Formats: sequence, C-alpha cells, structure tokens
Amino acid sequence: MSETMSDYKTLTCADVAVGDKLPPLAIDITTSLVVCGALATRDFEPVHHNKAAAVATGLPDVFMNILTSQGLMARYATDWSGPEAVVKSVDLRLGAPNVPGMVMTMTGAVTAVDKTSGLVDVAVVGENNIWGMHMQGSVQLALPQEA
Amino acid sequence: MVANVKDKAVIVGVGNTKFSKDSGVSELSLAAQAVKAALDDAGLKPTDLDGFATFTMDANDEIEVARTLGCGDLTFWGRSHYGGGAATGSLHQAVMAVSTGMAECVAVFRALNGRSGHRFSAGVSEGVMTADIIHWGWYMPYGLLTPASWVAMFTQRWMHLTGVTKDALFEVAHTTRNYAVNNPNAFFYQRPFDRAEYDAARMICDPLQLFDCCQESDGASCVIVTTPERARDLRQPGVSVRGVAQAAAPDQEQMTSFYRKEFAAIPEMEIAAKNCYAMSGLKADDIDAAVIYDAFSPIVLWQMEAWGFCGFGESGDFVLDGAMRPDGRLPTNTHGGQLSEAYIHGVNGIVEATKLVRGTSLNQPNKTVNNALVTSGVGIPTGGAILGKMH
Amino acid sequence: MTAEDQKAFEDEIYAFVGREVCPPTPARDDVNNAMIRQWTEIIGDTNPAYTDAAWAAGSARGKTIAPPAMMYVWGQEGFKVTTGRPADAQADLVNLFNKHGYTGVLGTNVRQEYFREVSPGDNVVMTMTIDNISERKTTGRGPGYFFETLATFTNQHGEKIGTQRFKVLKFIPQEQPATAASEQALKVPTRIASVRGHDNGWWWNAVDDGKVLIQRCKDCQTLRHPPRPMCGHCQSMEWDSIESTLDGEVLSYTCVRYPAVPGYPKDPICAVIGLGEGTNLVANVVGCEYSDVFIGMKVKGKVERVDEKTILPQFYPL
Repeated sequence: MSETMSDYKTLTCADVAVGDKLPPLAIDITTSLVVCGALATRDFEPVHHNKAAAVATGLPDVFMNILTSQGLMARYATDWSGPEAVVKSVDLRLGAPNVPGMVMTMTGAVTAVDKTSGLVDVAVVGENNIWGMHMQGSVQLALPQEA
Repeated sequence: MVANVKDKAVIVGVGNTKFSKDSGVSELSLAAQAVKAALDDAGLKPTDLDGFATFTMDANDEIEVARTLGCGDLTFWGRSHYGGGAATGSLHQAVMAVSTGMAECVAVFRALNGRSGHRFSAGVSEGVMTADIIHWGWYMPYGLLTPASWVAMFTQRWMHLTGVTKDALFEVAHTTRNYAVNNPNAFFYQRPFDRAEYDAARMICDPLQLFDCCQESDGASCVIVTTPERARDLRQPGVSVRGVAQAAAPDQEQMTSFYRKEFAAIPEMEIAAKNCYAMSGLKADDIDAAVIYDAFSPIVLWQMEAWGFCGFGESGDFVLDGAMRPDGRLPTNTHGGQLSEAYIHGVNGIVEATKLVRGTSLNQPNKTVNNALVTSGVGIPTGGAILGKMH
Repeated sequence: MTAEDQKAFEDEIYAFVGREVCPPTPARDDVNNAMIRQWTEIIGDTNPAYTDAAWAAGSARGKTIAPPAMMYVWGQEGFKVTTGRPADAQADLVNLFNKHGYTGVLGTNVRQEYFREVSPGDNVVMTMTIDNISERKTTGRGPGYFFETLATFTNQHGEKIGTQRFKVLKFIPQEQPATAASEQALKVPTRIASVRGHDNGWWWNAVDDGKVLIQRCKDCQTLRHPPRPMCGHCQSMEWDSIESTLDGEVLSYTCVRYPAVPGYPKDPICAVIGLGEGTNLVANVVGCEYSDVFIGMKVKGKVERVDEKTILPQFYPL
C-alpha cells in the first residue's frame, strides 16, 4: 500500500493499461483532519468545525468538506502516477458524509488510456466503513509519453 | 382433480393508474383509482362490488378501499400470500368467491408505491419484521439479501445445466422493451435499447444485469370479476377464466428453495400448469399469447418450459426463434412486461392478458387470441390462469 | 402549493439561470507557499511538484506548482462566512428556495477541469454564474431542485486556468430518524444477524462454538437442513445432530454487487454448497475472486469470525 509518494518516478503512458488497479489507500477520518482540511481549503462553514452546527443539520459530528474530499481524490491519483503527471480534471459525486471515527478507503482503476494524447482516466471510489460510498468519480491525468 | 370452476367467472373490467416513479399520492388513492377505472371500463358502479381480492403484501385494507370508493355491502375479502406469487392468486380468490356464490362482483387489485415508498430492491436488507424472519436468517448474514440475489442463484445453475446463454436473456428483455416502446403508460415508452446498452448496464448479481431486472414502480392495477350471467349485460366483451390454479411444491421455500435434489427448477409452476390445463381442457398448443411474470428476464424462460411450450433447457432456442415477438409462436408480455412497462406485482399482467383476449392490446398480435396465459411470480408458491373469450 | 403557485415559483427560480454570482474577482492573496504547505500537510500529499523546490527545478515544469485541486481555495470568502454568506445572486436563489420550504442543502457533484497550472506569485481570478437549474426531482432526501454554478478561473494575464461546475441540491427535508444524529449512528455496522428462535437457535449457537451441525431424525436417521421441528419423512419429533466436516461442492453461486449494504464486504460471493453429508447449505465463498468460482468447485469450510458480532461458516477453494 503506497501511503505516500515514496519515490519521484512518474508512470508513462506505456506503463498503464485499462483495468490497472491503484493500490487501496485507507484514510482515518479524524476531527483534526475534518477541521484542518476545512481551514486549509478556507472553507469556514461552521458545519465543518463546530459540532453543534453539524448536529443541527442532523449529523452526529462535524463532517468533511467537499474541497478536502476533492483534494484527497486528486492526491490519490497523483500518488500513483508520480509528480510529472499533470492533473486535467477531477470529477466527483458525493455520497454519505465522512465523519470522525470512520475510515475511508479509496480504490481506483484505469478506465481509459489515450496513447496519442497521453490522457489517462482513473475511476476512484472512496468508501467509508460505516455509511458506505462517500465519493466516486474520476481523475484525468496527462502522463508523459516516455520516461 | 381440483374443483372445476372453468368459465364460472368472467373478467368484465380492467384498469390501470398512471405508472410512475413517484405517484405523489397514497397507495390507497392508487387502489381507489385503479378499481374505479376498472368499474368504469365495465360500466359498473362501486355499489355493484361486493368483494375484494388482493395480496397479503398490499397495504390497503379492503374496507378502506370500499369506503373510499363508496361501496355498499361486502360479503367477501380474500388475500393471497407470497409476494408476486399472489398475482393470479388474487384472481384465484375472486374466481372461487364468484363461482361459489360467495360474492357476485369482486375487484382484484394491487396498489403500491414501489419506487417512492418501500423499494423491493432493498430486499430484506433493512431487516424483516414478519413471521418469516427465521427463514431469512439463513441468508441475511451472508449478504444474500435481495430478490435479484436469490433469483441469480437459480439462474446461474440453470444456465450451467442447460447451456442457455445471455443471448436468450437479452431476447426476453429486448422483445419486451420493444413492446413497451409503443405503450404510453410504460416507463420505457419510446426508449428502445440495443445489445451494446444491455451488455454495458451495471451488474446487479451475476449473471443478472440491470436490464434483466424489473423496475420499481408506483401504480395500481385492477380487474373486475363477476358471474357469466352478469357479464352478458355489461359494456365490454367478457373474458372468461378458463382455468386458474395456485401451487406450492415439496420443500418449497420463499425465494430460496435451494434444498431440493435439483433446485434449478420450478415444480410449483409445473403443478399450476397441469391443473390449469386440466381445468380448462386446453393444452399448450391452444395458448395464443401470454403474459409471463417477469420480475427478472430468466424466469420467463423457465415458465415457458413449465407450461409446456418447450422442453427443459429448450426455452433459450424457443425465444431466440422469435417466439415472444408479435408474429411469433407466443407473443409474450405485449404491454412491455414488468421489465419495461411497470412493476405492479403482476396484476398489470392480468389487465394485459384480458386485453389480449378482447383484442385491444396496444401490441395486439395479428391473429385471433382465443386463449391467453397469465402467470404469477417464480421461486415462491405461485400460480397461473388461462383467460379466453366468453362463449 | 397549487399548480399556479408552483409555476410562479419556478418562473422565479429559473430567472436566475445565467445570472452572475461574482464578476471577475482577483484572489486577495497570490498563490503562495504558505497556503500550499498547509494544504499538502493536511491532505497528506507528498508530491514534490508542490513543495520541493529543488526537485521541481530539475523537473519538466522547472518550478513548483500549486495543487490543481486548490484552484477554488484562492478566492474563498474566508472567516466571515461563519456569520453568513455575502449577498449575491446565489444567496438570493438560496433564500428563495428556503422561503418555499426547500431549506435542505447538499452538494452533490463537483467537477473541476484544469487548463493551465499556476505557481507561487500567480494570481487566480474567479468569475461565477448560475449555469442551470433542474426540473423538480424526487430524491432520497426529499423533493427538490439541483442548481449548478459555473466558475471560470484565469490568471493575472487573463489566461484561462480552469473551470468548476458545482451542483447543489436544495430540497424539502424529510423527517429524519432521531438516531441519525446520535453517537449510535457512528457504530461500525455489522452483518444482519439471524434471529434465534426455538427451531434454529441451537444451530446458530453451535456456529458460535465453531461447529456446523446437521439435524438428524433419531428414528429414520434422515438429515435435514434448515432445521425444522418434525421429520418430513417419518414425522418423528425426536432428533439429534451430526457435525459437518464442511467438505463441499459449489452447486450455484452469485456475486451480490448491488446494492452495497453497510456491514458487508464489497461484492460478497454467496453460494449454495452441497455438503459431503448430503444436505445443502448457503454460505459465502471467500479466499478467491468471483471469476475463479465455478459450479462443481470443491470447497472446504471454516467457521470464522467475520465481524465484531458475527461468526459464520465461510468456504475456501481447495
């Protein structure tokens, strides 16, 4: 399981094929991650840092903001691809909230490879262990043609 | 031989509500609308009704439906159990009441908000609150929670034994869809599909993909059953119940009869067929068109075998020869079926079978339909009925 | 709401389509290393393209870039939203929805496209409009409308950096079960347990002790499963049981892919297992891929704990 970008190698178009699976990545959803993720994305909506505000909306605790989820999805794709990959798009649909105490596991698979343009589509799903699908969508990367 | 009630009860009116994914009204409202539509079709008033027949699963009390409609005295109410197995089961109740004189005019109805309310695809995943909870306990812990999962288990083994492939499942789904394309009340009205779209659809429970599964719908359907004497004076040509039967077979479970010597089989439907044919004096060759319960595409195939249209394992070739199509041997599910019209628990099928005999289906085959078959769900205690022109 | 009221309301909301939420607005802070560092630390992103200047100097780009997913961050309003959103077309639209009972709010989709990377020192300029509003839909949360904002981003030279489409559902909230907001809702779900009654409880109790038993008629010795109080062959009510060796064969199987149910593994394989003793048992096949399973496959069962509360027979390929 690659928890971080451990080396600075970048995949090339020739290295990937449709159906390739990304190594799963488990993220502990902590209060710190939820609150600090909201602040790092300058999202000061109270529901992401104030438990009382979150409970008033019917949830048990503060919950992850969308920009943090989106950041995690992009990171998951580039952890796999390496640093020279250029992120072209992040497209995500949101499901159940991520709330502290949960563990979200991200999985992904290559769904398209265009050898001419170097564009690679990666489908990503983030599921938490309590409420199920938190986010699913796709990240498009432009990979170098050759090393 | 079971009691013979051949031609002793007649369907004189049919009604459907609008079918949708969100009716926006109560199930009681749907029931009342469908019964009223069927009464109007027959030229009858609510006070002409003296009985009701429906499913144990239906949420509407007969007396509530009666009060809503403004009915008078009731002398009969009967319900049939086991989900979609009750489709012709509720007709069976009505026929028994009318043929024995316990009632003169019975409304057979089913009303459900099957999409906006409780969804069948949830199966028992939200828990079971009924007496059969011990039964489901043998399956729930493993994740076998939904109708699709139970039917998939039979399908996989049946395909293995017979060599029937998804070509035949596609033919069922595709022919049915083509009928729905012409039916304005069908969810898939004017929305045909092709093999690529079918193959690309989401896998639900292997080998069943999305378009092998029926819809979840809001709506209600009703047929009015009365005596032949009464039927003669009414607005529509009577459609006689030639034969009707309910059956359960040894070692029957509800959707999970996995403990029989060979479980890729539906012996209960074979019994229903045998008894229906015996009662009516008809045989498979006499059936001109059919509405075969289609909660899932493969179950249509098994029923064709059970009703003797072809032998065990031959239904794949039977449908691939075009049997279900408008000019085929057995035009089937001409309303679009539950796969493509709506899932009204098979009672919309009784409506369609009645229309086929009347000659008024939107996809009426280009031949005389003297006798039409209509069946109930599979994998449960089930049944069927043969409808024919009233003499 | 009458049909006319509904029509008037919809006319009013659809008039918002195309309206500008914010004119081209430069971010108050240029793209900068401090905010990038904070974001990458918290997101756990160790990509050297964002924070390792030495590596970046030797890379194809020649310099560090901001994480593309930060595109919208640069122009965010900031702390003042804790006391309310600024008045703009989006706020007006939201207020209009609220006034008509559509008080629920849920971000459902966000799609960002990136055309050009930005680096520290660049400035991100955002423009936003209300792009579209759906017809009234029935959703799991309640009836509502989806509206989508379209933000476009340029740099200080007017070059297009990217776009963001953000879809929000405004809905009439349905009554929530009281448990939803409780700590109870955060318990890790387990599989749905079988209820234990008089006729089956002993079987499940044996599973808890690591054994799969098969009920046997004491008079005619016929085995039966699932357990029942009377022998179907000789009608005897006397029974005992034997322990299965859990040697079996797959008679049929499926993979339950949809819907996913909390508490269960993803895509569980379920099978009817013909046990060597002669009775059938439904259980999971584990330790292999779905594509490895076939009818006739020999399997061996083990009684295992599958979650905090559940012990079940699980079958492995031989």
